[in-house]
Amino acid sequence: MTARRLLPALAVGLVATLLARRAAAQDPRLARLEPGTRALVAALVDSARAAGLPAEPLVQRALEGATKRAPGDRIVAAVRRLGADLGRAREILGSAASLAELEAGAAALRAGAAPAVLAELRRTRRQPLTVPLAVLADLVASGVPADSAATAVLALAATARDADLVEFRRAVERDIALGAPPAAAASVRLNAAAREARPGPP
Amino acid sequence: MTPGKPAWVVLVGAACSLVSARAPAAQTTGTVDLGISTVRYDGFLASGAASLTPAVRWESPRGMVSAHGTYLRFESGHRSLQGLVIGSIFTPATSHWRGELTASTGASSYAHFASFWHAIAEARVHLLGDNRGAWIGATGGLTSYGGPGRPVAAAAIGTWARRGELTFLGSASRTFVGDTAYTDLASSVHARRGSLDLEADLGARVWSRGGGRGVYGEANATVILGERTALVVAGGRYPTDPIRGSIAGRYLSVAFRMRRAPLRSLPARDPRAPLVDERASSGSSSSGARLEIKPDSGGTTHVVVRALGATLVEIAGDFTDWQPVGLRHVEDDVWEAVLRISSGLHRVDVRVDGGNWLVPSGTTRTADDFEGEAGIFVVP
Repeated sequence: MTARRLLPALAVGLVATLLARRAAAQDPRLARLEPGTRALVAALVDSARAAGLPAEPLVQRALEGATKRAPGDRIVAAVRRLGADLGRAREILGSAASLAELEAGAAALRAGAAPAVLAELRRTRRQPLTVPLAVLADLVASGVPADSAATAVLALAATARDADLVEFRRAVERDIALGAPPAAAASVRLNAAAREARPGPP
Repeated sequence: MTPGKPAWVVLVGAACSLVSARAPAAQTTGTVDLGISTVRYDGFLASGAASLTPAVRWESPRGMVSAHGTYLRFESGHRSLQGLVIGSIFTPATSHWRGELTASTGASSYAHFASFWHAIAEARVHLLGDNRGAWIGATGGLTSYGGPGRPVAAAAIGTWARRGELTFLGSASRTFVGDTAYTDLASSVHARRGSLDLEADLGARVWSRGGGRGVYGEANATVILGERTALVVAGGRYPTDPIRGSIAGRYLSVAFRMRRAPLRSLPARDPRAPLVDERASSGSSSSGARLEIKPDSGGTTHVVVRALGATLVEIAGDFTDWQPVGLRHVEDDVWEAVLRISSGLHRVDVRVDGGNWLVPSGTTRTADDFEGEAGIFVVP
């Protein structure tokens, strides 16, 4: 191999080694990743941190992929996507949003909640938004249409405590278990149709 | 009804298709109730009956369509068949107001000599608050008892309030069916506790001309037995319904309810994905392990997993750095750990006896970005 061919290969290897060492130095938990994956994930984590985004959700997503023995490129793609979601969540929720709020906001956006819903939640609720956003994401993942879930959470968010929101989410789960369609379970169950559609007496 | 086929064949066929078919859309659900009843219609002797009640509902954010039928086989050998289809559309919710337009049509027959049908429409305007609300509505339509249709007109007002696990409802309505007129004052309370769902109704029919009068009340309890099964016990006295053709009576019924699954569209999965085993791939929401999250007051959280016949239970999630954490065996089939889990949304999986990582029931399944799934839950 000539020096002209050898030098670029050496340079790439050196950069990868430096990135891997840097990654390991920054967060030893990433040592569970393959070296190439680790370097790319560490770069994404660094760039998120530099942009003022929380790094922990990105690390956790990478570790989840490692535990599930996912291919490296898929882990990198998942971390990159989550980083983008966190960025969108911060744009909507504002720079004062907490780590947990951003993480829950990113999950809600990924689930299909409209950005306007997050903005409305920020406007109407003085308390932290972590639990309302988490409940919103969880409801949508349960099969409740995104706008029905948003309507329900927005209706509760202004005054309900976090525990009330979690209890509401449990009640919806119970309704679904009892056979109610997710959308109906999340809406006020007192409309005429729902009452009349109940199986009646013999 | 399908020509040439007895009613029970059609209903059993519908019931089987509801239980076994995959969902054509995420918002379609179905249940089948198999039950036994004792019923005493006013002016008749008490009679036992077996019942089959399939129900299906399609729901979208702006409306719903629901259909259910009941096939009753009385101990006399006579049969009763009822069917109802109902559709409802809603206006977009504003901060306090929502409109609703409902149309329903149904038919019923008893033995070979009595048959009813009706077709009505109702408009309601809802005033919605956080934990209370009210509505006003008007109904119009036709009903028939084996002859020309009789006009139906009604006006109603109602209010409701929710307090914790309790929901209260009160309503008043004035109904005209041909020459018949009556007023119903109705109230109900709905409560939940654990896997038990209770509802009780109490009402009175007053200022009646041809619609009967008196006090009536019903109660029903639904006990969740499993993820797709429940036991429904109901009984009481109900008034004559001149619109739908049911005559006043008393009843007691016990039914076993089966819910069709899955309830939602599951994300597409790669069968090579290492995390998902055959049970998860089948679309079952059960992994054989159930997760319960119980936040303590001291900032820690009790994580409880119920796994039948397990000898080793591990958990991994974003609160363990996705490292397996073994749970402590505390009693038969119950395993637990005390962990620090922050407020918010979390992702988790459970592994039993060193097998594959699974989504535990008690959490919501979601696509995990790795061609598999993760369970998610919320900590307040």
